[in-house]
Amino acid sequence: MSAGVGVDLENLWIRFGDFVAVRDAKVHINGGDFFSFLGPSGCGKTTILRAVSGFLEPSEGQVLIGGKDMKGIGPNKRPTALIFQNLALFPLMKVWENITFSMEIKGASARERRKRADELLDMIALPDQGDKLPSELSGGQRQRVAIARALCAEPDVLLLDEPLSALDLKLRQHMRTELREIQKRVGITFIYITHDQGEALTMSDNIAVMRAGVIDQIGDGKTIYNDPSTAFAASFVGENNVFRGTVKQVQGDTALIATNRSGDLLARVSSANQGKMKAGDDAMMFIRPEAFALAPVGSEGDHFVTATVTNEEFEGNAFNIFMEGDGGKEMKVSLPNLGQSFDSHKGQSMTLQYDVQNAVALPAGDLATE
Amino acid sequence: MPRFLKEFFDRNGLGIGSLMLGLVLFWTIGLIIMPQLSMLDFSFRPNLPPPEIGGPKDVYTMENYKYLVFGPEGGSQDFNAVDLKVFYRTLIAAVFVTIFNLILCYPIAYYLAQTKGNHIRIFALMLIIPYWINEILRAFALRIIFGETGVLNNLLVAAGVFDTPFDFIRNDIALYAGLGYAYILLMIFPIYNVIESLDRNQIEAARDMGASWPMIHRRVVIPYAKPGISSGCTMVFMLSAGALAAPQILGGPSSLWFTQLIYQQFNDNSDWPQGAAYAVVLLVTCILLVLAVMRLFKVDMGDIGK
Amino acid sequence: MKNLSLMRLSIWAYLAIFFAYLLGPLVIMSVTAFNSPEFPRATPWECLTFEWFSALFHDERILNGIKNSVLVGFGTVILSVAMGLAGALMLTQIWPKLRATYYTIIIAPILVPGVVIGISTLVFWDRINRMLGLGADSFLSNGLFLTVIGQSTFIASYCMLVLVARLQRYDAALTEAALDLGATHAQAFRKVLLPFMKPAIASAAVLAFLASFENYNTTTFTFGEYPTLTIELAQKVRYGITPAISALAFIIVLLTVFAALFNEANIRRKELVFEARKGATVEELSSGRFKMPGFLSSNWAAVALVVVACATVVVVGTATVYSPQQCIANVQEQKRLETEIRIQELQRQRELRRQQQEAEQGSTAPAQSQPADNNSGFGGVFAPNTLSGEEESGAAEPAEESSGFGGAFAPSTLSGDGN
Repeated sequence: MSAGVGVDLENLWIRFGDFVAVRDAKVHINGGDFFSFLGPSGCGKTTILRAVSGFLEPSEGQVLIGGKDMKGIGPNKRPTALIFQNLALFPLMKVWENITFSMEIKGASARERRKRADELLDMIALPDQGDKLPSELSGGQRQRVAIARALCAEPDVLLLDEPLSALDLKLRQHMRTELREIQKRVGITFIYITHDQGEALTMSDNIAVMRAGVIDQIGDGKTIYNDPSTAFAASFVGENNVFRGTVKQVQGDTALIATNRSGDLLARVSSANQGKMKAGDDAMMFIRPEAFALAPVGSEGDHFVTATVTNEEFEGNAFNIFMEGDGGKEMKVSLPNLGQSFDSHKGQSMTLQYDVQNAVALPAGDLATE
Repeated sequence: MPRFLKEFFDRNGLGIGSLMLGLVLFWTIGLIIMPQLSMLDFSFRPNLPPPEIGGPKDVYTMENYKYLVFGPEGGSQDFNAVDLKVFYRTLIAAVFVTIFNLILCYPIAYYLAQTKGNHIRIFALMLIIPYWINEILRAFALRIIFGETGVLNNLLVAAGVFDTPFDFIRNDIALYAGLGYAYILLMIFPIYNVIESLDRNQIEAARDMGASWPMIHRRVVIPYAKPGISSGCTMVFMLSAGALAAPQILGGPSSLWFTQLIYQQFNDNSDWPQGAAYAVVLLVTCILLVLAVMRLFKVDMGDIGK
Repeated sequence: MKNLSLMRLSIWAYLAIFFAYLLGPLVIMSVTAFNSPEFPRATPWECLTFEWFSALFHDERILNGIKNSVLVGFGTVILSVAMGLAGALMLTQIWPKLRATYYTIIIAPILVPGVVIGISTLVFWDRINRMLGLGADSFLSNGLFLTVIGQSTFIASYCMLVLVARLQRYDAALTEAALDLGATHAQAFRKVLLPFMKPAIASAAVLAFLASFENYNTTTFTFGEYPTLTIELAQKVRYGITPAISALAFIIVLLTVFAALFNEANIRRKELVFEARKGATVEELSSGRFKMPGFLSSNWAAVALVVVACATVVVVGTATVYSPQQCIANVQEQKRLETEIRIQELQRQRELRRQQQEAEQGSTAPAQSQPADNNSGFGGVFAPNTLSGEEESGAAEPAEESSGFGGAFAPSTLSGDGN
């Protein structure tokens, strides 16, 4: 397996008129990585992808591929291949002609092309489908053809722009595994754009969380999930309960936060913000639904929360309990179904406890809106 | 290089981009804008023999426009009654041809657009075929029919409607029929296109609520088809007012179409500036009329040609 | 229910009237091409003849007109499809602020009267010509050039509309995908965009050729030394019409029907093939055992096409062996007889009246009756010729003369002093 070619974005700015689509992006992508840009629609992630593939000229900063500045190099000269959101298969070409378009451009003979197409069709598990038209394939098959077409160009970096968004849920989950396998097999760098945190978490080596043109955090899936560095990252990736308040006291890596409704609570300061939070600052505290456990009624302290039940759901593997939340939103608690008998009803007051290591204190900031 | 030009070339490549830009500029400026301006300029100049063009006598003058209104200088009449009458008659007749076509074509367009089946394709073919035939030949066909011993007169005389053949040509009936005939397709297609996109359920819903057919058309179909109707009417009006072949072939000996006056100025009198002035008057009047009607019915220019 | 059927009936009646108005003139005109009288007419039917076709094919000016029309047509197709495509592409990527203005400019030529376009083209290029100091015989004042330029001005707008309709369904990502896979802009254009636009380009080209072929209003100002077919036809139609023009019209109608049916049959066939392909399995497709639907199966347009083609072959076959001379002679003979009978009848009436008058007044000059006879006797037969102006003198010739030479006589009138 080759080491692959890395990609670097250095102080990248992209503006459309007065609108800033990408603000000072600094990203280093290792060669051979599966790297995802994760963010809601309109956050600028597709813009970054277009700058890497060469369809957009950055307003400032540089795109380096394999250490080489790409300025002034058109999309047809870059060692990248892009898989479009709608796949952009050529509707009038047969599948095998689609796949080997990059060879046709270079003047390869039809026999050579046919041979290569058959190899790639085998690889994507679509043997004997080469003579069909793209319109005669199913969604998942088209998806694979698009990947084969991009790989046929032998790029150093494969760029994928939400390629799974058009598929149904089941196929999407299947394709995640398949994409990851293909990436491991060919060993080149994949840059993946998505708004689906599940996709990003399952497939990626590293993830960049983006918000409104700004990259909030870069890290592997576990870090992003367990140790978010901004309120936005905490609320965008996975479900999270937010408690608003002010920092009362910071001691080592834990902070005591005076919340607006639930009293003083302890939380761990996220690693990116250590030393940056001090008493008196506006803060937010995040606790995942699954980080709660039931506590004896009447327990009080800096890692107990008491609230009123508003609704309850049984999900099979877990009980979801919705309670009057702290941040205007409902608070959600997931308790695993371990066969225990469990009784809650609307209007009942419940006390919950959590491990301080699982609560994250962050400076107050924008939350992701669903 | 300005930014938008650079973006344009980035997107299209230098070769294709320059070719595209060149063609568009040639078309819009070289073929559309400059010739019209040139004609406008020309219409304000005196009619001079070629050697004197650009000479001291080549000055701007309103003479050609004055001629249309007041006639030749020192003429016997105060106004150029003949030409003005022709102008007026042309516009009125074009309006009538437009209305006639609208009334004739609306039901057909509605029927074609709202009915499904193989026979609709046959009808569509039958509509298009006459339009592929030369304009002159279409007028010629009508002349055969409306002639003094044409099929129509033979039929009517045989049926005892007339005792002697009726002169359709001298009475301009042939001309109006010919103008209407020439532009049927241009009326049907825009209306058809719009009505075809009308959801049948809207009509069903209106019927369900007890609306009568005239009511449905007045309240549902016609408001929806307005862009198509105005587009069709505009084209038919402009083309009838600017028609030359039909009046030349089907017009009676005494009645002239305004375009025929222009033609005469150019070809018979060799008075190009005068002809250009008449052409400008025709163009400007037609455009103003169309714009006024479009304003009246609140239709957008962008709807034309859809 | 009763109400519904009444409504349906009235719809069909309306359709019948409408299509009679639309197609009737063409049918009648076509019929006149086969009738022997020198003035094109369908009634009364005299003799089946194909002379008008041979007259047509011997008319130098018509043939020259066709040649010029084809030249102009090709020039116009190339220029206006190219400009239309460029215009359409520009429309999809022009600055949003400029878009409305730009659209108005490129759509305007459709609405500007053809006469105005012809004049402005003539005036503008004449001026350019003079500015460049070129003579009256320069390229810029050449009839072919001016006609192509003038026609393309507005035909390009038609092309643009056709092309834009297809272009709107084009996914710009396809071009980007091609570029991304290493194609140059020219390659992406040629290999991806052009194939996609091909059907629309073909329609636009056909449309442009037809529009150019039938254009009169613009061409009449620009044709110079190169009169197109339409110009020649207009000259002939204005100054005396003969069934040879009907014959030409018939040929054009026939070609049009052919083309329309062919096109329709093709569309139907594509639909059928598509259906069949969808139903076929992968093995059938790859092994080539996949059965294409037959050309004629469930395709009415193809059937009609074959029928029309057969009918044409039969008619042409008949035309080569058929001679109308006997029939024409018969009809002339009959006409002569009729005329004589009518003359005699009239004379008898006159005689009677004269006798009455004589009886009343005594005596009147008998010579008066002669011209009156002539008028009433020939008026019924030759009245149509009065319509065609100059031919009046020819028509006044004795009936006997035109009987035998009906065909031979026609070409001379066609190419003669018709203008």
